[in-house]
Amino acid sequence: METFLPNALDDLLIRARPAQGAPPNILRVLHAVHDLCGYIDPRAIPAIAHSQGATEANVAGVLSYYPSLNTQPAGRHRIQVCLGESCLANRCVRVVEAIQSKLGIELGQTTPDGQFTLEPVSCVGNCAVSPGVRIDGELNGRVRPSDVAGLLDRYR
Amino acid sequence: MSRVRLYLSNDTSSCAAGAERLAEAWRQRSDVELVRTSSRGAFFLEPMVERDSSDGRLAWCHATADDLPKILAGDGGIPVSSIPFLSKQTRHAFATFGVTEPLSLEAYRAYGGCAGFRKARQMSPSAIIEEIKTSRLRGRGGAAFPVWKKWEVAATTAADRKYVVANADEGDAGTYCDRMVMEGDPFRLIEGLLICARAIGAEAGYIYCRQEYPVAAACLRAAIRAASEAGWLESDGQPFPIEVVSGAGAGSYVCGEETALLESLEGRRGVVRARPPHPAQSGLYGRPTIVSNVLTFATIPNILARGGAWHASMGTEGSRGTAVLQLGGRVKQPGLIEVPFGLTLRQVLDQFGQGMADGARLKAVQVGGPLGSLFTDAQLDIPICFDAFAKADAILGHGGIVVFDNETDMLELSRHLMAFVADESCGKCVPCRIGSLRAREILETVQRGQATEADLSLLTELGDTMKAASLCGLGARAPYPVLSALEHFPVEFRNRMRS
Repeated sequence: METFLPNALDDLLIRARPAQGAPPNILRVLHAVHDLCGYIDPRAIPAIAHSQGATEANVAGVLSYYPSLNTQPAGRHRIQVCLGESCLANRCVRVVEAIQSKLGIELGQTTPDGQFTLEPVSCVGNCAVSPGVRIDGELNGRVRPSDVAGLLDRYR
Repeated sequence: MSRVRLYLSNDTSSCAAGAERLAEAWRQRSDVELVRTSSRGAFFLEPMVERDSSDGRLAWCHATADDLPKILAGDGGIPVSSIPFLSKQTRHAFATFGVTEPLSLEAYRAYGGCAGFRKARQMSPSAIIEEIKTSRLRGRGGAAFPVWKKWEVAATTAADRKYVVANADEGDAGTYCDRMVMEGDPFRLIEGLLICARAIGAEAGYIYCRQEYPVAAACLRAAIRAASEAGWLESDGQPFPIEVVSGAGAGSYVCGEETALLESLEGRRGVVRARPPHPAQSGLYGRPTIVSNVLTFATIPNILARGGAWHASMGTEGSRGTAVLQLGGRVKQPGLIEVPFGLTLRQVLDQFGQGMADGARLKAVQVGGPLGSLFTDAQLDIPICFDAFAKADAILGHGGIVVFDNETDMLELSRHLMAFVADESCGKCVPCRIGSLRAREILETVQRGQATEADLSLLTELGDTMKAASLCGLGARAPYPVLSALEHFPVEFRNRMRS
């Protein structure tokens, strides 16, 4: 285990041990690991389980339940396309198609050069200026298919 | 050279519409003092720049960086008070939106903030609950349960600890009013939590904020720091910590269901708990817990400050106060609308939405998020209130209204909505877990042109089972949009059947 666990992760898991009498919180630790590493390597499951006094099955169960806890590293830039109903009504599907054709990947995939990961998101609460596309945390509203090329070029 | 004070919204949607670009362009200028406010919610006009005048605020709508000379000269602005979308509203929970800086406690106080909490501090817990009872406030998250009843149960259940949890997992697509409160008026949510905590005797509060709202979480944290420094977060010498748990649901929709939310808050899979017991009796870590959505808490301070009778004087018989609606989709004027309950859906779409976007014709309106029923043009005269919607087998939910135009493929929309439920089902109960998957498969069979009448009958039958036997609202409501699409647009399904 020590051979692959980076020291920072080791430290995190030591700090994440619940205090005497306090309940463990697997999801909280998973979030912390995700924030630290950008994803959760399934090989870290035993160490996470140990830190929380939980079983590996408990940890794997929580990890697989939450859609945005990734078990693989994402690309350098994360593109999230909102597929909420207001975005759908405002033709976000055409925006998705434009991004897919520009990058040559499908939803849920990362470009071979590791630059972009394309993810669907079910609603970002930007319904009044839809469709919405979030890139690395920056939200763009009223996105048209013709905007896609310029938008992505800003991140190259 | 004197600086001209300009007001520009800092709301995520305003920024997405271009406000951030304006801020970047003008930040360094010596002739501009830029004040970042909350948004008025008239998003169709964003980015909108305002400045003071003898007629109150003047607004420049759809502003670009090149408009600055005009704005500085005072040319071409329109009085905000003359914008019908705003002037026709009855703003209470959203009264200060667009006016104040979200993190200014001073501004919050200047516009009447803290008055409710000050009053509550002088009242007994039971008197606070009595005031909420008088107000006839019902939860704004979707279930519309009388707020005072929950509070009374939590207050009278004996326990060593009690909790207050703000459900900030605003997952219903088409809704954004909670996000606006958290980003634009975070002290109001905190004040609501404090009043509730005093009424039930809670010792800690949590705000369960969804991952998709990073700005809201940051605003809340900053607001909690400011409130703590101002001495708010203690009562009779006892500290009352409020923790923002951000990113909590990690993309899971069902974590907005109160018992799944509590499971998730405890760090487990966000799986729904069977009720009873209700969270007010046994919630977080088995202790009495009030879980209410953000808007509900944000409605509380005004009720305490102005009295329950004031709140009860607005709205309809069963739905008192104001409805906060969020208009989106293919309308001309999408945005946030706060009006007394009782206007019809058509009035809202006409008076505020101003009809359809250019070239579009109305096909269907979905109210209440992805589990909400679809309405056709002929059904729009329904009054916006909990009871009329319940009678129509529909839900007002969290107030999201999404308008679809004539180009919408209702079969594909149905498949999308059912696939969403199949993805989001927590898996605890069979009707939802299996039912949503089978329903999605049937809709895909129709899309492939391989379905028969028997498949559509099975879809209806599955829907009835899910409605009757699901453990929570996700499975129980999932069939409604799909079956209402099938009912109102049968041709779109039947034309694609196997002949």
